[in-house]
Formats: sequence, structure tokens, C-alpha cells
Amino acid sequence: MVQSRREFLNTLIRGGILAGLGLLGGGMIFRWVRKGSCGYGGACEKCPKAVECTLPEARNYQQTVWQLDPSKCIQCGRCATNCILTPSAVKCVHVFAMCGYCDLCGGYFKPGTKTLSTAAESQLCPTNALKRRFVEDPFFEYTIDEKLCIGCGKCVKGCSAFGNGSLQLQVRHDRCVNCNQCSIARNCPAGAYSRVPATRPSLLKGSGNEGSSGKKGGPTT
Amino acid sequence: MKKTVIRGLFFLVLLVVSLSSFGIQRFPKPEFESGYVQPGTVIPAARTTILSILDVVVLLTACAVISWLIIRKRSRNWVFLISLCSLVYFGFYREGCVCSIGSVQNVALALFDGLYILPWTILAFFLIPLLFTLLFGRIFCAGVCPFGALQDLVAFYPQKLGSRWNAVLGLIPYFYLGLTILYAATGSDFIICRYDPFVGIFRFNASFGMFLFAGILLISGMFIARPYCRFLCPYGVLLNWISRFSWRHMTITPANCIQCRLCEDSCPYEAIDKPVIRKDPVPVRIRIRKLLLSGLLIPLFVLAGGWIGSQLYQGLADVNPTVKLVRLLNDPSASQQQPEPFEITAFRSSGKPVSQLCSEASVILKKFYTGGWILGGFIGLVFGFAVAGRMITRYHPDYIPHKSTCFSCARCIDYCPVKS
Amino acid sequence: MHKNEIMTKKIILFIAVGLLIVLVIYMTKDLFFSRIPSGINPYAYNLDSLMKKDSSRVAYREVKQIVPGVAEVSGISADMYGRIYISGKDGVEIFGEEGKLLKKFGINGTALCIHTDGSGKIYLGVQDHVEVWSQAGKLLEKWAAAGEGSIITCIGTSGDFVFVADAGEKIVFRYNRSGELSGRIGDKDPAQGIPGFIIPSPYFDLATGPDGTVWVVNPGRHSFEQFDPEGRMISTWGAASMAVEGFCGCCNPSHFAFLSDGSFVTSEKGIERVKVYSPEGRFRCLVATPDQFEEGTRGLDLAIGRDDRILVLDPVKKQIRIFIKNTIEQ
Repeated sequence: MVQSRREFLNTLIRGGILAGLGLLGGGMIFRWVRKGSCGYGGACEKCPKAVECTLPEARNYQQTVWQLDPSKCIQCGRCATNCILTPSAVKCVHVFAMCGYCDLCGGYFKPGTKTLSTAAESQLCPTNALKRRFVEDPFFEYTIDEKLCIGCGKCVKGCSAFGNGSLQLQVRHDRCVNCNQCSIARNCPAGAYSRVPATRPSLLKGSGNEGSSGKKGGPTT
Repeated sequence: MKKTVIRGLFFLVLLVVSLSSFGIQRFPKPEFESGYVQPGTVIPAARTTILSILDVVVLLTACAVISWLIIRKRSRNWVFLISLCSLVYFGFYREGCVCSIGSVQNVALALFDGLYILPWTILAFFLIPLLFTLLFGRIFCAGVCPFGALQDLVAFYPQKLGSRWNAVLGLIPYFYLGLTILYAATGSDFIICRYDPFVGIFRFNASFGMFLFAGILLISGMFIARPYCRFLCPYGVLLNWISRFSWRHMTITPANCIQCRLCEDSCPYEAIDKPVIRKDPVPVRIRIRKLLLSGLLIPLFVLAGGWIGSQLYQGLADVNPTVKLVRLLNDPSASQQQPEPFEITAFRSSGKPVSQLCSEASVILKKFYTGGWILGGFIGLVFGFAVAGRMITRYHPDYIPHKSTCFSCARCIDYCPVKS
Repeated sequence: MHKNEIMTKKIILFIAVGLLIVLVIYMTKDLFFSRIPSGINPYAYNLDSLMKKDSSRVAYREVKQIVPGVAEVSGISADMYGRIYISGKDGVEIFGEEGKLLKKFGINGTALCIHTDGSGKIYLGVQDHVEVWSQAGKLLEKWAAAGEGSIITCIGTSGDFVFVADAGEKIVFRYNRSGELSGRIGDKDPAQGIPGFIIPSPYFDLATGPDGTVWVVNPGRHSFEQFDPEGRMISTWGAASMAVEGFCGCCNPSHFAFLSDGSFVTSEKGIERVKVYSPEGRFRCLVATPDQFEEGTRGLDLAIGRDDRILVLDPVKKQIRIFIKNTIEQ
């Protein structure tokens, strides 16, 4: 009878789809669980390949988040304009260990300022997010108010040109929504964005975190 | 004395700090005499893993509940309520990311890129709706997908498009799916995310273009119910295929159909098949001719499609950032543009030789050539089956929902007078 | 149904489908026909005005380049015979005036600075200690590191003294020729009016004058300080500004050298330029402007060759760039 033949065919195809989905799922899980050889021999935390590693120990490092590499950054301003959040989830971060605490800070002051004070007309920052505080002669401490920072990178450019490069742009994960495809990552002209382990989500220059240079997590990495 | 103490501390700090570094020559910081303690750099933590496991659990629960509501309880009101809950959780709370529609891209990337490990939560988001569809039809669309829920809210005056328009516009999701897989597999772009219309609404924050996109879709959605679901959703293609073979699809009547015709105009998606009564048995000769025609047409379409796809491979490849950069470097109008595009500035300052970039691009172009054949062949196959499908008539005496396009929203159930 | 109603329904449907098609066309156009990306940064920090070439004040022209073979060049020195000494990673090279490679030898480590004088010995600042080598490439002495965090950035000699600028310890050490540490110069001493060195980055230069005094750059204060060998400050001059007469950024000048008449030749980073100041500290002229260097070039070490020609070591282009003064006719 036609009815039962069609029913049979349906059942067959249904079984085939089930098998196919099972194979797909099983294959993915298998790849995830498979023991590979560890060429690193050290703590997973410091291994640069943690994101793509198939060892069970590295599983903690595979929930990934987006991060930008300041050594590739050219301060084009797209971090401020391309993030789907307003203001951007990318902020300037100060690596105090690298700072010179200079009076004439290259990232704080506009070039050619007459007075070295906290006057608004002397400042580079368009939103007054970079704060200057006297510590002792002749050192000044510079801190960033993240509520005000828009991630435009002006201070970063000034600091890297005239100073030690202690001001760097970074994605802040208390704000970042961790999109499947990062809008900024797609538009970054220097390809500075990549996925890094969520347990070690920073790529700051000079603070000892350089090992976690991220790897594959999607296109535009 | 003070100086020695400070110098000693500084030396100690330097020692500790140098131990934890990677041997980078970090320049010593100034010596502070006033007792100033240098603050550490704060690095905020990302969202915890436990919450993404919660998302999978909620997905599973929602699918189970909605299946029961559609197949057993058969109540439109309950389905609507659950769809609202899904809209709130998966839409506004999770802000629509990661979603099942987007998971197609991640799975495609994982299949073709050995270095990408697919997080199991995304795999779950991909598989769970498909498994439930295999069992109960497109229940995911009815009450779990936030996109569907949003469009359902604005479907005020649904109009009938007619089978021809439905068929033509219904081809768009196949193009979208094919391109999605091509671009995700080559690691070029996630185009579902890129052209996601409703995520801006969920985040309460989007660019003007994105809001316009959403607005147009919702306005159109007032008169054509669920336009994204029917004519754009790439995941819907997979659900469409699997739902055809579903084990226990939703039925309009709980028992027998009495052909009362009350449900005829109840479906805003034109997914109800009217009864088709066999008048005379179709002669075998005509049946064989139809079979032969399909058997010839389909491979022809596949080959033609594949050939066209392969000819278009350079245009397709241009979406890939490496290929685009090579084209930009060779483009005279780009180098004349003032100020120079940042891509060119960044490339030149990276110090990478152009030859290396070009060799990377040529590897990618080869992948796109193969991809173009496959994409074109796939579209040809879809065309072929669409044409062949129109030649074949299925006979059924009852009003039944068309398994592939029915979203199991249970509106028609309220129209049916038959009680079990 | 009423004819009007049918008409309205048809129009509405037409518009709705039309909108959908417009969307699809927009997506196709955006995906496949994208514009050339922009180079406009709404938050641009434009350094162009600062980097503008002011040719009226340029009094030197570049005549020659010598390309050394050492990886990562970092230091340059010249002796009275016009020979040029280059130090870098794991090696030292000696060139004749015209650029002919006379000798090269390997060393262990990176020598940030190199100094040679009439004695014929080559003094190298290798990371945290000083090494003395012969012209033939033999290691003669290896002095002990003065401190744990020492970074030797410059060496100068005068008579029996060897002055070593240590950017890590932020002090100038005075050694005897035998390698014995005999004193410190530049310790902060408010009673004597010595402000102390502010060294924000590893650029700390010095040079000895013909009168036996040593001139040291205080980069954080953008000034030059002159000391006698016992450590007493004799004089100081300096100017902090982005304008051409001053020293820009947080720590400049990065390097300097003396011309035969006692004029200062200075080089800076940030706004990459090489300038000449009179012995009193008044700005005289420009030698090289920022457009002659790659953006972000640092470490333009200087040396003076025969006839007061200025030798600039460009670590980014990996060249020794030779400048001579324009005569009045040119």
C-alpha cells in the first residue's frame, strides 16, 4: 500500500537525520574530549595555544571572549564608533607598571599647552576621562574614569608617541556582551582582535600577560 | 636609611615582578619617597560559565514545555504565553546572542577549521531545536525563538501572498544559508550576525541602519506574517527539511477531519494544505515521464548552478578580509583617497611583506572556487527540487498543516470544532 | 469583498513585498559591493602640524648612508680617525669613513651603547655592565654590574675617568680606567641644587667636554646638567616644549653629542628630529626633520665624524645616516 511505503520511507529518513545529527554532535564532542599531545609542558594558564588545545586540562580556557592586542593597534578610533554598545566596551587601561609618572604627560596634554594643569583646554581627552593627580615632585599619577572613557584612543596615541606606551586600549568584560561576531573585530584595520580564554581575558603590553595571544574563535580574528 | 629601605623594596619588587614577567625588559618605575603605592591594573572578569549552562537548560525546558503544549494541551493561548517568556529570556535578557540561528555559523566553522573548538553550549543550541523538530515539527519557531515571538506580536493584518510568491520568496533563505556556510567555513565573516535585524531592539541600542532594517521588517511583518521566518531565516531551512520527516507533527484536528472548512483561512502563513481529492488515477506513463523529467532536470540544474557559482568565486571571495586587503592595495582609487584608508596604513606599519599576503589570499581564493561550485550546485539542487515539487501532487482528503512551512503556532487549533 | 478593499489589500501587499525585496537588495549590496574603507578618525590626534617640515631652519643635508650588518643596531661612536663604530645585538662593527667594513666581531648580548676614545679601547654597555674590548675584537675586561637593575645607556671618558650613565639606577657612575667604581654623579641633593635625574624611559645620555667636565641629559626635566668629576653641578640649561626650540614629550632629548666648537647636537623621540644648539643652549638650526624618519623611531644615537659631520644611527631603517652642513651657497 502507498501509505505504508511512504511511512516506511519517512521512518528511514527520520532515522537517517537522527544518525546525522548524532554524528555531528558526537564528532564535535569527540574532538573536544580527545587527548592530544601537549607540546608545552607548562601550566595551561601561560600557554599561548590554550584556546585551541584539545587536552581536558585546557577546557577551562576555552570559553572565550574578545580582546584586542595593543601592539597591533594603530589608534584609528574605530573601537569607539563600531561597538554595538554606547559607549563602547573598549576603554583605555593604564598599565601603571610602565608609566613614567611624567609632569608633561604625552597622553594627557594637548601639544603646545601653556600650563601643565588639569585645565580642560589643555587636555587631549575629549570626555575628561583621564584624571591627573599630584603624587610627589615631580611625579603625577594618571587614572582613567571608565564611566567617561569612550575608547577613542587619543591618549593612547599620545602616550605611545611621546611616552612609554602605558596607556592601552582594551575590551572590558564587565561591559562587553561577547557577541558571536564582534563588530569592532570585523572593522579593525590592523586585525588586532582575537578570542582569548575567558579566564585570562587581557592582552596588555608590559604587564606580563603577553602569553595569551588569542587564536581562532571565528572569522575576523 | 630611608633611601636604603626604599631601594631595597624597589629591588625586591623588581625581583618579584621580573619573576612573573616573560623576561620582558620592563623599565623600572620611579622611586616614590612619599610612600605612594602603585595601584595594580584592574582586569574585570568575564561572564561565568555556569550562566551559559543555565541557558542550555532553559532552552531544553522551553522546547519540552512547548512541545507538550502544542501536541497534548493544544492551546494557542499557552503557546503565545510561552513565546512571550522566550522573548523576554532569550531576547531581552540574553540580548539575542548566542542564538540557534547564529549557531549554524559556529558549527560550519568548526567543521572546516581544525583549530576552532566549538563550545558545547553552542552545539547544544544548534542540536536541541533540530532534535525537537525531528520529533514534533517546528515547535521551536512557535514558542522558543525570540525572533518569531517578536514578529508574531506585530502580525496584525496578515495577507495572503499566493503560492507563486511564496515559492519565489521562499528561495531566499536557501541563498542565505548557502552563503552563511560558505563564509563561516572559510572564516571570512558571520553574515547572520552581521545582518541580524532584531538584536538592536533586544539591546535597546543600535545604529540607525540596524533600526531601519528592524523597522522595515516589522512594518512589513504587519501585513506579511513572520517575514524573517518565512523568507530570510537560514536556520529555518534546516528546520524545514527536518520537519518534513517529523515523528508527531501538530495536527489541526485532534481526531478526524470533517472537512468543515472552518480552518481554511485561519493560518496567517498559508501553511494549511487544502484537501486534494484524487479524481482519476494518473496514468503510469505520465508518472514515469514526470520522474524522468525530474531525474534529468535536477542534475542539470546542479551542474549549471555549480558552474555559475564557480564563475562568481572572485566576487564571493571579496568578502574575506585578506582578499579584500589585497584588492585594496591594488586599487588605484583607494591609494588616491585622502586620507589613506586605515587598512592600508595598518598593513604597511605591520611590516608584513605583500608577497606573503598575496599567497595567503590565493589559498583562500582556491577555497572559494571549490566553495563556489558547491554553493552553486546546492542552489541548483534547490531550484531543481522546487520545480520538481510543483510537478508532483500529493493527495490527501483532509486539511493538514504543510509539515515544512507550518510553525506549529496552534492558531488553527482554535478554529477546529472537533473535540477528541 | 468590496472592490476598494481588494485594491487596498493589493497595494498593502505590494508595499510589504516591495519592502522585503528592498531589504534583500540592501543586504546584497552591503555584502558584495562595499565601499573603500575610510581613513577618517573622528578622534584623530593629528601630529601632522608638529611634524611639518620647516625647511627654513634646516641647515644640514643628508649625503650618505651606510648599512651595517648587525642585527638591531643600538649604539654609534666615532674616533678621531673618522672610523665609525656600531654596536647592536650580539655584535660590533667598525667602518671606515667611506663606509668600508673594516672589522666586525661578536659579543655576548646586546650592547646598548658604545664609546671609543684616543686610547683605542672600545667601551661597551652590555645590558647591566661595562665591557672593554680591543680594536682587534678581544674582550679585555668585564666590569661588575653596579646595581641589580642597571641598564647602561651611555659611556663617556675623560682623562682617567670613565663615566657610565645607568638608566636603571638613575645615576651616573664614575669609574677609574681600571674598572674600579670610584664615585656617583647626580644624586639628588637639594643643598647643592642637584634635582636628581628623572628617567621615565631607557634613554639617558652623557658626553664629556674638552674641559674634563661631563654633561648629562636629565630627560624628565628636559635639561642638560654639567658636572665636574667630583659631582658638583656647574651649570644647567634646558627647554620643554613641542616647538622646535624645545624638547617635546615626557623625556627628551634621547641622545646628544658635541661638535668641535662645543655646540650640542641633540636627537629626540616622539617628534623625531635632530637639532643643533649653541654651547650656551640657544637653538641654532635643524639637522633632520620628522618627515625624514619613520613614525615611532626611537634611539637615534649620534656621533660626530671628521669635519663635524653628524652621524645619525637610524635603528628602524638600519642605517648610519651622514649629514653635512650646507654651505652659504647652497
